[in-house]
Amino acid sequence: MAAIAAVAQVTTPGQTAAWAGERRRTVLDQDLQLIERCLGGEEAAWEDLVKIHTRRVYAICYRFTSSEQEAQDLTQEVFLRVFRSLKSFRAGEGSFTVWLGRLSRNLLIDHYRRSKMQRSTDSIEEQLPTIEETQAMSARTDGMLAGREASETLQGALKKLSPELRETVILRDLEELEYREIAQVLNVPEGTVKSRLNRGRAELARVLRKQKVAI
Amino acid sequence: MNCSDIEILLAEYVEGTLQGGAKSAVTIHLAACAGCRELAEDAASAVEFMARTAPVEAPPELLTRILFQAPAVKPTLARRLFGRVLGDWLEPVLQPKLAMGMGVAALSFFMLRPGVRQLTLSDLDPVKVWTSAENRASRVWERGLKSYENLRLVYDIETRVDQWREEAPTEARDPEKTPESGKP
Repeated sequence: MAAIAAVAQVTTPGQTAAWAGERRRTVLDQDLQLIERCLGGEEAAWEDLVKIHTRRVYAICYRFTSSEQEAQDLTQEVFLRVFRSLKSFRAGEGSFTVWLGRLSRNLLIDHYRRSKMQRSTDSIEEQLPTIEETQAMSARTDGMLAGREASETLQGALKKLSPELRETVILRDLEELEYREIAQVLNVPEGTVKSRLNRGRAELARVLRKQKVAI
Repeated sequence: MNCSDIEILLAEYVEGTLQGGAKSAVTIHLAACAGCRELAEDAASAVEFMARTAPVEAPPELLTRILFQAPAVKPTLARRLFGRVLGDWLEPVLQPKLAMGMGVAALSFFMLRPGVRQLTLSDLDPVKVWTSAENRASRVWERGLKSYENLRLVYDIETRVDQWREEAPTEARDPEKTPESGKP
């Protein structure tokens, strides 16, 4: 219960929600204006759109794949698809963030399926570095981790979650999307999002504990 | 409220965004249900841990890679010519594929017009096709040869005319030069 109370103390619900809502509206308007200018052929607008959203797309891809190179390739692929299909974006059917999230998610799932088939044919020698990395990580997790080190530990733990739980946790806790937006991205009801989120968070805590991480 | 109902509310509860009666209901349930309490504690620990992690930053060169690969969305020809609203309507009509299709259709109609001989199966006989191709090739060769000969002839004539032009003023000047040369 102490942990629950600590988390509850960190946030002030009313103010945070109002501030987040205001910020989202601004971002939404900005996105729509940029898309309009992009479709009008303004190169600067396309650059701005890419600049604004690259970090989030890359972060989702990196958190999901745990590989910098794969995340870079996937981010590039996402924007190539955006570039090709920007005309098909309809503002009335959801925000650009949701549209982009759905596009990234579809690509990640395809990538996951492909790499899963590849992994099943990998020999134990090829998997050995991963096992060694995990052992090295658990050997240095005695104290309270934070910052970059915590980020690396989290990365190792996220890999242990199923893709469904992983993507939900990434979108909510790391990329701070609203429940409604996550439901649109994953194409599931909000209740399912919340249920997956609980299970994902709990599973993550168990994995971290197994790695002897102080949480 | 049963455990399934609580599970839905728990996500917001651990984030501290649940308020009012729902929050009280969850608190009461957690005090009585060990399973849900454990789930809530685990979830809260994970949320707290994730809040301590550093955000992932994209490498700076990635932006350049993306912009290089997908430089900008160019406006379509239809939009450039007819503006946004009318351009969107006319865009399918001005697609290169459609234009090419229309061209081929027009050519077909032109070929099928009365007065032009229809193709028959006998036209596809390999011997006929070969003979026709050979005739055409030899005609092209002969025509080329003739053009070359003509060019040579034209060149000869031009050279001769130039020579005459050069010689003409010399001859014209000669009578004047003769008395001068005869002067003491």
